[in-house]
Amino acid sequence: MSRSPAKRVAAPLAVALLALPLTVLVAQAFADVWRAPGVLPDELGWRGFELAFERAGAGEALLNSVVIGLLATALALVVGWPAARVLGQRLLPRNGLIFLLLALPLLMPPYLAGFGLTEWFIRLGLDDSLAGIVLAHLTFVLPYAIVILLSGFTARVDELEEMARVAGAGWLARLRLVTVPSLRPTIAAAALLAFLVSWSQYGTTLAVGAGRPTLPIVMLPFVRTDPQVAAALALVFLAPCLLALALAARAQRSPL
Amino acid sequence: MSAELRIEGLVVAPPGTTPVLRGVELAVPAGERAVLAGPSGAGKTTLLRAIAGLEDPAAGTIALGGSDQTGVPAHRRRMAMVFQDPRLLPHASVLDNIALPLRAAGVKRAERRRLAGEQLEEVGMAAFAERRVAGLSGGEAQRVALARALCAEPELLLLDEPLAALDPRRREALRRLIAELQERRSLTCLIVTHDRAEAAELGQSLALMIEGRIVQHDDPRTIFERPATRAVARFFGASNLLELPEHPGRVLAIRPEHVAIGSGTLRATVLESVYRGTQVALALDWQGRRIEALIDPADAPAAGATIAFELPAERLWAIPQTADERDLELRE
Repeated sequence: MSRSPAKRVAAPLAVALLALPLTVLVAQAFADVWRAPGVLPDELGWRGFELAFERAGAGEALLNSVVIGLLATALALVVGWPAARVLGQRLLPRNGLIFLLLALPLLMPPYLAGFGLTEWFIRLGLDDSLAGIVLAHLTFVLPYAIVILLSGFTARVDELEEMARVAGAGWLARLRLVTVPSLRPTIAAAALLAFLVSWSQYGTTLAVGAGRPTLPIVMLPFVRTDPQVAAALALVFLAPCLLALALAARAQRSPL
Repeated sequence: MSAELRIEGLVVAPPGTTPVLRGVELAVPAGERAVLAGPSGAGKTTLLRAIAGLEDPAAGTIALGGSDQTGVPAHRRRMAMVFQDPRLLPHASVLDNIALPLRAAGVKRAERRRLAGEQLEEVGMAAFAERRVAGLSGGEAQRVALARALCAEPELLLLDEPLAALDPRRREALRRLIAELQERRSLTCLIVTHDRAEAAELGQSLALMIEGRIVQHDDPRTIFERPATRAVARFFGASNLLELPEHPGRVLAIRPEHVAIGSGTLRATVLESVYRGTQVALALDWQGRRIEALIDPADAPAAGATIAFELPAERLWAIPQTADERDLELRE
Protein backbone atom coordinates (compact mmCIF):
# COMPACT_ATOMS: atom_id res chain seq x y z
CA MET A 1 0.00 0.00 0.00
CA SER A 2 1.48 3.35 -0.99
CA ARG A 3 0.87 6.35 1.22
CA SER A 4 0.32 9.85 -0.03
CA PRO A 5 2.86 12.54 1.05
CA ALA A 6 0.12 14.30 3.00
CA LYS A 7 -0.48 11.16 5.05
CA ARG A 8 3.23 10.66 5.56
CA VAL A 9 3.45 14.07 7.19
CA ALA A 10 0.06 14.18 8.87
CA ALA A 11 0.22 10.89 10.77
CA PRO A 12 3.45 11.56 12.69
CA LEU A 13 2.35 15.13 13.29
CA ALA A 14 -0.89 13.96 14.87
CA VAL A 15 0.98 11.47 17.03
CA ALA A 16 3.45 14.18 18.08
CA LEU A 17 0.67 16.58 19.01
CA LEU A 18 -1.01 13.92 21.13
CA ALA A 19 2.22 12.72 22.63
CA LEU A 20 3.57 16.16 23.60
CA PRO A 21 1.49 16.71 26.76
CA LEU A 22 2.09 13.09 27.72
CA THR A 23 5.86 13.54 27.32
CA VAL A 24 5.81 16.59 29.58
CA LEU A 25 3.77 14.63 32.11
CA VAL A 26 6.20 11.71 32.06
CA ALA A 27 9.17 14.09 32.40
CA GLN A 28 7.48 15.84 35.31
CA ALA A 29 6.68 12.58 37.09
CA PHE A 30 10.28 11.39 36.98
CA ALA A 31 11.94 14.79 37.55
CA ASP A 32 13.28 14.66 41.08
CA VAL A 33 15.10 17.94 40.41
CA TRP A 34 14.02 20.31 37.62
CA ARG A 35 15.35 23.86 38.00
CA ALA A 36 13.60 26.81 36.37
CA PRO A 37 15.36 27.75 33.11
CA GLY A 38 16.19 24.13 32.13
CA VAL A 39 14.19 22.61 29.30
CA LEU A 40 15.01 19.09 30.52
CA PRO A 41 14.91 17.76 34.12
CA ASP A 42 18.18 17.92 36.04
CA GLU A 43 17.78 14.68 37.99
CA LEU A 44 15.51 11.72 37.29
CA GLY A 45 14.15 9.40 39.97
CA TRP A 46 11.21 7.59 41.58
CA ARG A 47 10.43 10.20 44.26
CA GLY A 48 7.07 11.11 42.70
CA PHE A 49 5.81 7.52 42.65
CA GLU A 50 7.21 6.73 46.10
CA LEU A 51 5.37 9.67 47.60
CA ALA A 52 2.23 8.95 45.57
CA PHE A 53 1.95 5.43 46.95
CA GLU A 54 3.38 5.99 50.44
CA ARG A 55 1.95 9.35 51.40
CA ALA A 56 -1.00 9.92 49.06
CA GLY A 57 -2.34 6.34 49.27
CA ALA A 58 -2.43 5.82 45.51
CA GLY A 59 -2.67 2.04 46.00
CA GLU A 60 -5.93 2.10 47.89
CA ALA A 61 -7.31 4.84 45.64
CA LEU A 62 -6.40 2.85 42.53
CA LEU A 63 -8.11 -0.26 43.88
CA ASN A 64 -11.21 1.74 44.86
CA SER A 65 -11.38 3.43 41.46
CA VAL A 66 -11.02 0.13 39.59
CA VAL A 67 -13.66 -1.63 41.68
CA ILE A 68 -16.09 1.30 41.46
CA GLY A 69 -15.44 1.74 37.72
CA LEU A 70 -15.99 -1.93 36.91
CA LEU A 71 -19.13 -2.20 39.05
CA ALA A 72 -20.60 1.01 37.62
CA THR A 73 -19.82 -0.18 34.07
CA ALA A 74 -21.39 -3.60 34.61
CA LEU A 75 -24.48 -2.11 36.25
CA ALA A 76 -24.84 0.54 33.55
CA LEU A 77 -24.74 -2.12 30.80
CA VAL A 78 -27.26 -4.37 32.54
CA VAL A 79 -29.66 -1.59 33.57
CA GLY A 80 -29.13 0.42 30.39
CA TRP A 81 -29.67 -2.53 28.02
CA PRO A 82 -33.49 -2.75 28.20
CA ALA A 83 -33.82 1.03 28.23
CA ALA A 84 -31.56 1.37 25.20
CA ARG A 85 -33.49 -1.37 23.40
CA VAL A 86 -36.84 0.33 23.95
CA LEU A 87 -35.47 3.75 22.96
CA GLY A 88 -33.40 2.45 20.03
CA GLN A 89 -36.35 0.69 18.47
CA ARG A 90 -38.66 3.63 19.15
CA LEU A 91 -41.26 1.49 20.85
CA LEU A 92 -42.57 4.35 23.00
CA PRO A 93 -44.84 7.17 21.86
CA ARG A 94 -42.75 9.99 23.44
CA ASN A 95 -39.32 8.66 22.63
CA GLY A 96 -37.61 12.06 22.50
CA LEU A 97 -39.04 13.23 25.82
CA ILE A 98 -37.95 10.08 27.67
CA PHE A 99 -34.51 10.36 26.14
CA LEU A 100 -34.30 13.95 27.37
CA LEU A 101 -35.31 12.94 30.91
CA LEU A 102 -32.63 10.24 30.89
CA ALA A 103 -29.98 12.73 29.79
CA LEU A 104 -31.05 15.38 32.33
CA PRO A 105 -28.50 14.40 35.02
CA LEU A 106 -25.73 15.26 32.58
CA LEU A 107 -26.74 18.92 32.75
CA MET A 108 -26.28 19.05 36.53
CA PRO A 109 -22.95 19.90 38.24
CA PRO A 110 -21.71 16.55 39.62
CA TYR A 111 -21.06 17.88 43.10
CA LEU A 112 -24.68 19.09 43.35
CA ALA A 113 -26.03 15.75 42.14
CA GLY A 114 -23.86 13.98 44.70
CA PHE A 115 -24.87 16.43 47.43
CA GLY A 116 -28.55 15.76 46.78
CA LEU A 117 -27.99 12.01 46.76
CA THR A 118 -26.04 12.11 50.05
CA GLU A 119 -29.10 13.30 51.95
CA TRP A 120 -31.01 10.36 50.64
CA PHE A 121 -28.18 7.83 50.98
CA ILE A 122 -27.73 8.70 54.69
CA ARG A 123 -31.36 7.77 55.28
CA LEU A 124 -30.89 4.53 53.31
CA GLY A 125 -27.64 3.73 55.09
CA LEU A 126 -25.71 3.87 51.82
CA ASP A 127 -23.48 6.86 52.68
CA ASP A 128 -19.76 6.25 53.14
CA SER A 129 -19.87 2.96 51.20
CA LEU A 130 -18.55 1.73 47.86
CA ALA A 131 -22.14 0.83 46.88
CA GLY A 132 -23.20 4.42 47.49
CA ILE A 133 -20.40 5.77 45.30
CA VAL A 134 -21.23 3.27 42.52
CA LEU A 135 -24.89 4.33 42.59
CA ALA A 136 -23.96 8.01 42.57
CA HIS A 137 -21.64 7.43 39.59
CA LEU A 138 -24.49 5.67 37.78
CA THR A 139 -26.34 9.01 37.65
CA PHE A 140 -23.77 10.09 35.05
CA VAL A 141 -22.57 6.75 33.74
CA LEU A 142 -26.01 5.38 32.83
CA PRO A 143 -27.09 8.14 30.40
CA TYR A 144 -23.83 7.78 28.46
CA ALA A 145 -24.16 3.99 28.35
CA ILE A 146 -27.75 4.23 27.11
CA VAL A 147 -26.98 6.86 24.47
CA ILE A 148 -24.30 4.63 22.97
CA LEU A 149 -26.11 1.31 23.36
CA LEU A 150 -29.31 2.49 21.69
CA SER A 151 -27.48 3.15 18.43
CA GLY A 152 -26.73 -0.58 18.26
CA PHE A 153 -30.36 -1.72 18.28
CA THR A 154 -30.99 -1.44 14.55
CA ALA A 155 -33.69 -3.04 12.43
CA ARG A 156 -31.03 -5.50 11.26
CA VAL A 157 -30.65 -6.87 14.81
CA ASP A 158 -34.43 -7.37 14.93
CA GLU A 159 -34.33 -9.30 11.67
CA LEU A 160 -31.54 -11.55 12.87
CA GLU A 161 -33.36 -12.21 16.15
CA GLU A 162 -36.52 -13.10 14.23
CA MET A 163 -34.52 -15.51 12.10
CA ALA A 164 -33.09 -17.09 15.25
CA ARG A 165 -36.55 -17.44 16.79
CA VAL A 166 -37.81 -19.41 13.82
CA ALA A 167 -34.56 -21.41 13.89
CA GLY A 168 -35.53 -22.60 17.36
CA ALA A 169 -33.57 -20.27 19.63
CA GLY A 170 -35.21 -19.24 22.92
CA TRP A 171 -34.50 -15.83 24.47
CA LEU A 172 -31.28 -16.83 26.20
CA ALA A 173 -29.86 -18.54 23.10
CA ARG A 174 -30.84 -15.50 21.01
CA LEU A 175 -29.11 -13.15 23.43
CA ARG A 176 -25.95 -15.27 23.48
CA LEU A 177 -25.73 -16.28 19.82
CA VAL A 178 -27.28 -13.32 18.01
CA THR A 179 -27.90 -10.11 19.95
CA VAL A 180 -24.72 -9.72 22.00
CA PRO A 181 -22.35 -10.74 19.16
CA SER A 182 -24.18 -8.38 16.78
CA LEU A 183 -23.86 -5.49 19.24
CA ARG A 184 -20.30 -6.29 20.30
CA PRO A 185 -18.67 -3.08 18.98
CA THR A 186 -21.46 -0.96 20.48
CA ILE A 187 -21.21 -2.75 23.82
CA ALA A 188 -17.45 -2.22 23.82
CA ALA A 189 -17.84 1.51 23.14
CA ALA A 190 -20.53 1.85 25.81
CA ALA A 191 -18.42 -0.04 28.36
CA LEU A 192 -15.36 2.07 27.59
CA LEU A 193 -17.19 5.34 28.01
CA ALA A 194 -19.03 4.13 31.12
CA PHE A 195 -15.72 3.15 32.72
CA LEU A 196 -14.05 6.42 31.79
CA VAL A 197 -16.94 8.52 33.10
CA SER A 198 -16.89 6.68 36.42
CA TRP A 199 -13.08 6.80 36.50
CA SER A 200 -12.95 10.59 36.27
CA GLN A 201 -15.82 11.39 38.67
CA TYR A 202 -14.65 13.86 41.29
CA GLY A 203 -17.57 15.88 42.65
CA THR A 204 -20.00 12.99 43.15
CA THR A 205 -17.38 10.84 44.88
CA LEU A 206 -16.41 13.74 47.13
CA ALA A 207 -20.05 14.44 48.10
CA VAL A 208 -21.20 10.85 48.64
CA GLY A 209 -18.03 9.04 49.62
CA ALA A 210 -17.30 10.82 52.94
CA GLY A 211 -13.60 11.05 52.17
CA ARG A 212 -13.24 7.55 50.73
CA PRO A 213 -10.27 7.91 48.35
CA THR A 214 -10.42 7.41 44.60
CA LEU A 215 -7.68 8.50 42.20
CA PRO A 216 -9.16 11.92 41.26
CA ILE A 217 -9.76 12.65 44.96
CA VAL A 218 -6.15 11.96 46.00
CA MET A 219 -4.63 13.59 42.92
CA LEU A 220 -6.18 17.02 43.01
CA PRO A 221 -4.60 18.36 46.25
CA PHE A 222 -1.11 17.64 44.85
CA VAL A 223 -1.58 19.69 41.69
CA ARG A 224 -0.67 22.88 43.57
CA THR A 225 1.49 21.52 46.38
CA ASP A 226 3.72 18.96 44.64
CA PRO A 227 3.47 18.80 40.82
CA GLN A 228 5.78 15.77 40.66
CA VAL A 229 3.46 13.65 42.82
CA ALA A 230 0.47 14.95 40.86
CA ALA A 231 2.16 13.94 37.58
CA ALA A 232 2.99 10.49 38.96
CA LEU A 233 -0.62 10.06 40.07
CA ALA A 234 -1.80 11.25 36.66
CA LEU A 235 0.22 8.49 35.02
CA VAL A 236 -1.30 5.94 37.44
CA PHE A 237 -4.67 7.45 36.48
CA LEU A 238 -3.92 7.15 32.79
CA ALA A 239 -2.75 3.52 32.66
CA PRO A 240 -6.11 1.74 33.21
CA CYS A 241 -7.76 4.16 30.76
CA LEU A 242 -5.32 3.16 28.04
CA LEU A 243 -5.88 -0.51 28.88
CA ALA A 244 -9.68 -0.03 28.63
CA LEU A 245 -9.21 1.80 25.32
CA ALA A 246 -7.08 -1.03 23.92
CA LEU A 247 -9.61 -3.65 24.99
CA ALA A 248 -12.48 -1.68 23.46
CA ALA A 249 -10.56 -1.17 20.21
CA ARG A 250 -10.03 -4.94 19.95
CA ALA A 251 -13.73 -5.61 20.42
CA GLN A 252 -14.56 -3.06 17.72
CA ARG A 253 -13.45 -5.45 15.01
CA SER A 254 -16.78 -7.05 14.25
CA PRO A 255 -18.90 -6.57 11.14
CA LEU A 256 -22.60 -5.83 10.96
CA MET B 1 -41.31 -36.25 9.26
CA SER B 2 -43.40 -34.06 7.04
CA ALA B 3 -46.78 -32.85 8.24
CA GLU B 4 -49.97 -31.41 6.82
CA LEU B 5 -50.59 -27.69 7.23
CA ARG B 6 -54.18 -26.62 7.76
CA ILE B 7 -55.18 -23.01 8.33
CA GLU B 8 -58.74 -22.10 9.24
CA GLY B 9 -60.37 -18.68 9.65
CA LEU B 10 -57.04 -16.96 10.27
CA VAL B 11 -57.31 -13.23 11.06
CA VAL B 12 -54.31 -11.01 11.66
CA ALA B 13 -55.13 -7.42 12.52
CA PRO B 14 -52.34 -5.28 13.95
CA PRO B 15 -53.81 -2.77 16.42
CA GLY B 16 -54.85 0.52 14.86
CA THR B 17 -54.75 -0.67 11.25
CA THR B 18 -57.08 -2.49 8.89
CA PRO B 19 -56.85 -6.31 9.08
CA VAL B 20 -54.07 -7.78 6.94
CA LEU B 21 -55.43 -11.32 6.93
CA ARG B 22 -59.21 -11.58 6.84
CA GLY B 23 -60.16 -15.19 7.34
CA VAL B 24 -57.54 -17.27 5.52
CA GLU B 25 -58.43 -20.87 4.65
CA LEU B 26 -55.57 -22.96 3.31
CA ALA B 27 -54.64 -26.64 3.42
CA VAL B 28 -51.32 -28.03 2.20
CA PRO B 29 -51.14 -31.85 2.30
CA ALA B 30 -48.04 -33.46 3.83
CA GLY B 31 -45.16 -33.52 1.37
CA GLU B 32 -46.66 -31.02 -1.07
CA ARG B 33 -44.88 -27.96 -2.40
CA ALA B 34 -47.46 -25.19 -2.48
CA VAL B 35 -46.94 -21.68 -3.77
CA LEU B 36 -48.69 -18.68 -2.27
CA ALA B 37 -48.94 -15.98 -4.93
CA GLY B 38 -50.56 -12.59 -4.99
CA PRO B 39 -49.97 -8.90 -5.63
CA SER B 40 -47.82 -6.81 -3.28
CA GLY B 41 -49.63 -5.96 -0.07
CA ALA B 42 -52.04 -8.90 -0.29
CA GLY B 43 -50.80 -10.29 3.03
CA LYS B 44 -48.60 -13.17 1.78
CA THR B 45 -45.63 -12.41 3.99
CA THR B 46 -47.89 -11.76 6.97
CA LEU B 47 -49.46 -15.21 6.50
CA LEU B 48 -46.02 -16.82 6.40
CA ARG B 49 -44.95 -14.91 9.52
CA ALA B 50 -48.14 -15.90 11.32
CA ILE B 51 -47.53 -19.57 10.47
CA ALA B 52 -43.96 -19.26 11.79
CA GLY B 53 -45.19 -17.58 14.98
CA LEU B 54 -43.81 -14.11 14.29
CA GLU B 55 -47.29 -12.52 14.13
CA ASP B 56 -50.10 -13.09 16.63
CA PRO B 57 -53.42 -13.96 15.02
CA ALA B 58 -56.59 -12.34 16.34
CA ALA B 59 -58.63 -15.42 15.39
CA GLY B 60 -58.35 -18.75 13.64
CA THR B 61 -56.14 -21.82 13.86
CA ILE B 62 -52.86 -22.93 12.32
CA ALA B 63 -52.59 -26.71 12.57
CA LEU B 64 -49.44 -28.65 11.74
CA GLY B 65 -49.96 -32.39 11.59
CA GLY B 66 -53.28 -31.94 13.34
CA SER B 67 -52.05 -29.95 16.34
CA ASP B 68 -52.88 -26.26 16.71
CA GLN B 69 -49.79 -24.05 16.81
CA THR B 70 -51.36 -20.69 17.66
CA GLY B 71 -50.32 -20.81 21.33
CA VAL B 72 -46.87 -22.27 20.64
CA PRO B 73 -43.92 -19.83 20.74
CA ALA B 74 -42.04 -19.44 17.46
CA HIS B 75 -38.91 -21.25 18.63
CA ARG B 76 -40.89 -24.37 19.61
CA ARG B 77 -42.71 -24.78 16.29
CA ARG B 78 -41.26 -27.50 14.11
CA MET B 79 -40.89 -25.19 11.14
CA ALA B 80 -38.08 -23.44 9.35
CA MET B 81 -38.17 -20.28 7.28
CA VAL B 82 -36.05 -18.82 4.52
CA PHE B 83 -36.48 -15.06 4.41
CA GLN B 84 -36.28 -12.81 1.36
CA ASP B 85 -32.81 -11.68 2.44
CA PRO B 86 -30.61 -14.48 3.78
CA ARG B 87 -30.29 -13.07 7.33
CA LEU B 88 -26.93 -14.67 8.05
CA LEU B 89 -24.99 -13.89 11.23
CA PRO B 90 -22.08 -11.67 10.14
CA HIS B 91 -19.90 -12.69 13.09
CA ALA B 92 -20.08 -16.43 12.40
CA SER B 93 -18.61 -18.70 9.70
CA VAL B 94 -20.78 -20.29 7.01
CA LEU B 95 -20.78 -23.61 8.87
CA ASP B 96 -21.70 -22.00 12.22
CA ASN B 97 -24.54 -20.15 10.51
CA ILE B 98 -25.96 -23.40 9.20
CA ALA B 99 -25.51 -25.07 12.60
CA LEU B 100 -27.50 -22.36 14.41
CA PRO B 101 -30.72 -24.43 14.76
CA LEU B 102 -28.66 -27.39 16.04
CA ARG B 103 -26.87 -25.17 18.53
CA ALA B 104 -30.19 -23.77 19.73
CA ALA B 105 -31.41 -27.36 20.16
CA GLY B 106 -28.37 -28.24 22.28
CA VAL B 107 -26.66 -30.62 19.83
CA LYS B 108 -22.99 -31.28 20.72
CA ARG B 109 -20.30 -29.51 18.74
CA ALA B 110 -18.85 -32.46 16.83
CA GLU B 111 -22.28 -33.76 15.85
CA ARG B 112 -23.36 -30.23 14.96
CA ARG B 113 -20.43 -29.73 12.59
CA ARG B 114 -21.00 -33.10 10.94
CA LEU B 115 -24.71 -32.46 10.29
CA ALA B 116 -24.16 -28.87 9.16
CA GLY B 117 -21.39 -30.09 6.85
CA GLU B 118 -23.79 -32.55 5.24
CA GLN B 119 -26.34 -29.80 4.63
CA LEU B 120 -23.68 -27.57 3.17
CA GLU B 121 -22.75 -30.30 0.74
CA GLU B 122 -26.39 -30.75 -0.27
CA VAL B 123 -26.66 -27.13 -1.34
CA GLY B 124 -23.35 -27.41 -3.21
CA MET B 125 -21.32 -25.13 -0.95
CA ALA B 126 -18.97 -27.61 0.78
CA ALA B 127 -15.91 -25.51 -0.06
CA PHE B 128 -17.30 -22.51 1.83
CA ALA B 129 -17.58 -24.07 5.32
CA GLU B 130 -14.99 -21.96 7.13
CA ARG B 131 -15.60 -18.76 5.18
CA ARG B 132 -17.04 -15.63 6.68
CA VAL B 133 -20.44 -14.75 5.31
CA ALA B 134 -19.42 -11.20 4.32
CA GLY B 135 -17.86 -12.31 1.02
CA LEU B 136 -20.74 -14.45 -0.23
CA SER B 137 -22.76 -13.48 -3.30
CA GLY B 138 -26.55 -13.17 -3.05
CA GLY B 139 -27.10 -16.64 -4.48
CA GLU B 140 -24.48 -18.27 -2.23
CA ALA B 141 -25.88 -16.56 0.85
CA GLN B 142 -29.40 -17.75 0.02
CA ARG B 143 -28.09 -21.32 -0.38
CA VAL B 144 -26.55 -21.07 3.09
CA ALA B 145 -29.90 -19.81 4.42
CA LEU B 146 -31.62 -22.78 2.76
CA ALA B 147 -29.11 -25.22 4.30
CA ARG B 148 -29.69 -23.61 7.71
CA ALA B 149 -33.46 -24.06 7.35
CA LEU B 150 -33.08 -27.73 6.34
CA CYS B 151 -30.63 -28.31 9.20
CA ALA B 152 -33.48 -27.85 11.67
CA GLU B 153 -35.20 -30.93 10.13
CA PRO B 154 -38.51 -29.06 10.02
CA GLU B 155 -41.92 -30.58 9.39
CA LEU B 156 -42.80 -27.52 7.36
CA LEU B 157 -40.53 -25.27 5.31
CA LEU B 158 -41.60 -21.67 4.68
CA LEU B 159 -39.89 -19.63 1.96
CA ASP B 160 -40.58 -15.91 1.57
CA GLU B 161 -39.69 -14.79 -1.97
CA PRO B 162 -36.41 -16.75 -1.78
CA LEU B 163 -35.43 -15.91 -5.36
CA ALA B 164 -36.45 -12.26 -5.45
CA ALA B 165 -32.98 -10.78 -4.95
CA LEU B 166 -31.19 -12.99 -7.52
CA ASP B 167 -30.35 -12.52 -11.19
CA PRO B 168 -32.19 -14.81 -13.67
CA ARG B 169 -29.44 -17.44 -14.04
CA ARG B 170 -28.91 -17.92 -10.28
CA ARG B 171 -32.65 -17.78 -9.76
CA GLU B 172 -33.14 -20.75 -12.07
CA ALA B 173 -30.41 -22.78 -10.33
CA LEU B 174 -31.77 -22.09 -6.85
CA ARG B 175 -35.33 -22.81 -7.99
CA ARG B 176 -34.22 -26.26 -9.16
CA LEU B 177 -32.30 -26.85 -5.94
CA ILE B 178 -35.31 -25.98 -3.78
CA ALA B 179 -37.57 -28.33 -5.76
CA GLU B 180 -34.98 -31.13 -5.67
CA LEU B 181 -34.32 -30.92 -1.93
CA GLN B 182 -38.03 -30.64 -1.16
CA GLU B 183 -38.85 -33.70 -3.26
CA ARG B 184 -36.00 -35.78 -1.83
CA ARG B 185 -37.37 -35.28 1.69
CA SER B 186 -41.01 -35.00 0.61
CA LEU B 187 -41.08 -31.96 2.83
CA THR B 188 -44.26 -29.90 3.19
CA CYS B 189 -43.38 -26.55 1.75
CA LEU B 190 -45.08 -23.17 1.36
CA ILE B 191 -43.38 -20.67 -0.92
CA VAL B 192 -44.40 -17.04 -1.28
CA THR B 193 -43.89 -15.24 -4.57
CA HIS B 194 -45.38 -12.31 -6.44
CA ASP B 195 -44.04 -13.56 -9.78
CA ARG B 196 -46.57 -15.65 -11.69
CA ALA B 197 -44.06 -17.51 -13.83
CA GLU B 198 -42.11 -18.49 -10.73
CA ALA B 199 -45.36 -19.53 -9.08
CA ALA B 200 -46.19 -21.89 -11.95
CA GLU B 201 -42.69 -23.37 -12.02
CA LEU B 202 -42.31 -23.89 -8.27
CA GLY B 203 -45.78 -24.93 -7.17
CA GLN B 204 -47.32 -28.37 -7.22
CA SER B 205 -50.35 -26.44 -6.10
CA LEU B 206 -50.95 -22.74 -6.31
CA ALA B 207 -52.89 -20.48 -3.96
CA LEU B 208 -53.73 -16.91 -4.87
CA MET B 209 -54.16 -14.39 -2.09
CA ILE B 210 -55.92 -11.09 -2.65
CA GLU B 211 -56.67 -8.57 0.07
CA GLY B 212 -56.04 -10.95 2.92
CA ARG B 213 -58.00 -13.93 1.61
CA ILE B 214 -57.18 -17.01 -0.44
CA VAL B 215 -59.38 -16.70 -3.53
CA GLN B 216 -58.37 -19.91 -5.29
CA HIS B 217 -56.14 -22.89 -4.49
CA ASP B 218 -55.66 -25.41 -7.31
CA ASP B 219 -53.05 -27.05 -9.48
CA PRO B 220 -51.16 -24.50 -11.64
CA ARG B 221 -52.83 -25.44 -14.92
CA THR B 222 -56.34 -25.01 -13.53
CA ILE B 223 -55.42 -21.66 -12.00
CA PHE B 224 -53.93 -20.39 -15.26
CA GLU B 225 -56.66 -21.67 -17.58
CA ARG B 226 -59.74 -21.93 -15.40
CA PRO B 227 -59.56 -18.99 -12.98
CA ALA B 228 -62.34 -18.89 -10.39
CA THR B 229 -62.66 -15.12 -10.33
CA ARG B 230 -61.72 -12.10 -12.42
CA ALA B 231 -59.01 -11.19 -9.95
CA VAL B 232 -57.40 -14.63 -10.34
CA ALA B 233 -57.66 -14.35 -14.12
CA ARG B 234 -56.06 -10.93 -14.12
CA PHE B 235 -53.23 -11.90 -11.77
CA PHE B 236 -52.26 -14.96 -13.80
CA GLY B 237 -52.42 -13.12 -17.10
CA ALA B 238 -55.80 -14.12 -18.54
CA SER B 239 -56.16 -10.43 -19.19
CA ASN B 240 -59.08 -10.52 -21.67
CA LEU B 241 -62.27 -10.48 -19.58
CA LEU B 242 -65.29 -10.08 -21.82
CA GLU B 243 -68.94 -9.57 -20.95
CA LEU B 244 -70.89 -10.58 -24.05
CA PRO B 245 -74.66 -10.24 -24.61
CA GLU B 246 -74.80 -13.95 -25.64
CA HIS B 247 -73.52 -14.96 -22.19
CA PRO B 248 -75.49 -12.98 -19.59
CA GLY B 249 -74.28 -13.08 -15.98
CA ARG B 250 -70.87 -14.49 -16.86
CA VAL B 251 -67.46 -13.20 -17.75
CA LEU B 252 -65.47 -14.89 -20.47
CA ALA B 253 -61.73 -15.14 -19.90
CA ILE B 254 -59.15 -15.84 -22.58
CA ARG B 255 -55.37 -15.57 -22.37
CA PRO B 256 -53.67 -13.21 -24.90
CA GLU B 257 -51.63 -16.10 -26.36
CA HIS B 258 -54.88 -18.00 -27.13
CA VAL B 259 -56.46 -15.26 -29.28
CA ALA B 260 -56.15 -16.45 -32.91
CA ILE B 261 -55.07 -13.64 -35.25
CA GLY B 262 -55.44 -13.67 -39.06
CA SER B 263 -58.36 -16.03 -39.38
CA GLY B 264 -62.01 -16.18 -38.35
CA THR B 265 -65.08 -14.06 -38.71
CA LEU B 266 -64.45 -11.30 -36.16
CA ARG B 267 -62.92 -7.96 -37.22
CA ALA B 268 -60.87 -5.58 -35.07
CA THR B 269 -58.60 -2.52 -35.40
CA VAL B 270 -55.03 -2.73 -34.12
CA LEU B 271 -54.51 0.00 -31.48
CA GLU B 272 -50.97 -0.87 -30.44
CA SER B 273 -48.30 -3.23 -31.67
CA VAL B 274 -45.37 -3.59 -29.26
CA TYR B 275 -42.31 -5.65 -30.16
CA ARG B 276 -41.20 -7.78 -27.16
CA GLY B 277 -38.33 -9.77 -28.65
CA THR B 278 -39.88 -13.21 -28.98
CA GLN B 279 -43.43 -11.97 -29.50
CA VAL B 280 -45.41 -8.92 -30.47
CA ALA B 281 -48.06 -7.71 -28.02
CA LEU B 282 -51.17 -6.41 -29.80
CA ALA B 283 -53.95 -4.31 -28.36
CA LEU B 284 -57.11 -4.62 -30.47
CA ASP B 285 -60.29 -2.59 -30.53
CA TRP B 286 -63.28 -4.87 -31.07
CA GLN B 287 -66.61 -3.01 -31.03
CA GLY B 288 -65.39 -0.76 -28.24
CA ARG B 289 -63.80 -3.60 -26.24
CA ARG B 290 -60.06 -3.83 -25.74
CA ILE B 291 -58.54 -7.23 -26.48
CA GLU B 292 -54.92 -8.18 -25.89
CA ALA B 293 -53.17 -10.76 -28.04
CA LEU B 294 -49.68 -12.18 -28.50
CA ILE B 295 -48.39 -13.08 -31.95
CA ASP B 296 -45.20 -14.16 -33.71
CA PRO B 297 -43.24 -11.07 -34.88
CA ALA B 298 -43.24 -12.38 -38.50
CA ASP B 299 -47.07 -12.24 -38.65
CA ALA B 300 -47.57 -9.02 -36.69
CA PRO B 301 -49.84 -6.37 -38.25
CA ALA B 302 -49.01 -2.68 -37.87
CA ALA B 303 -50.98 -0.28 -35.69
CA GLY B 304 -54.08 1.04 -37.48
CA ALA B 305 -54.65 -2.09 -39.59
CA THR B 306 -57.96 -3.91 -39.61
CA ILE B 307 -57.54 -7.65 -39.03
CA ALA B 308 -59.56 -10.84 -38.77
CA PHE B 309 -59.43 -12.76 -35.50
CA GLU B 310 -61.14 -15.49 -33.57
CA LEU B 311 -61.78 -16.44 -29.94
CA PRO B 312 -61.48 -20.26 -30.07
CA ALA B 313 -64.39 -21.72 -28.11
CA GLU B 314 -62.23 -24.39 -26.46
CA ARG B 315 -59.95 -21.66 -25.05
CA LEU B 316 -62.73 -19.55 -23.59
CA TRP B 317 -63.45 -19.99 -19.90
CA ALA B 318 -66.62 -18.67 -18.33
CA ILE B 319 -66.19 -17.20 -14.85
CA PRO B 320 -69.39 -17.33 -12.84
CA GLN B 321 -70.08 -13.89 -11.36
CA THR B 322 -70.76 -14.44 -7.69
CA ALA B 323 -71.69 -11.83 -5.11
CA ASP B 324 -68.32 -12.21 -3.43
CA GLU B 325 -66.57 -11.52 -6.69
CA ARG B 326 -68.57 -8.34 -7.36
CA ASP B 327 -67.65 -7.20 -3.88
CA LEU B 328 -63.97 -7.69 -4.64
CA GLU B 329 -64.26 -5.89 -7.97
CA LEU B 330 -65.85 -2.87 -6.35
CA ARG B 331 -63.00 -2.42 -3.91
CA GLU B 332 -60.23 -2.67 -6.49
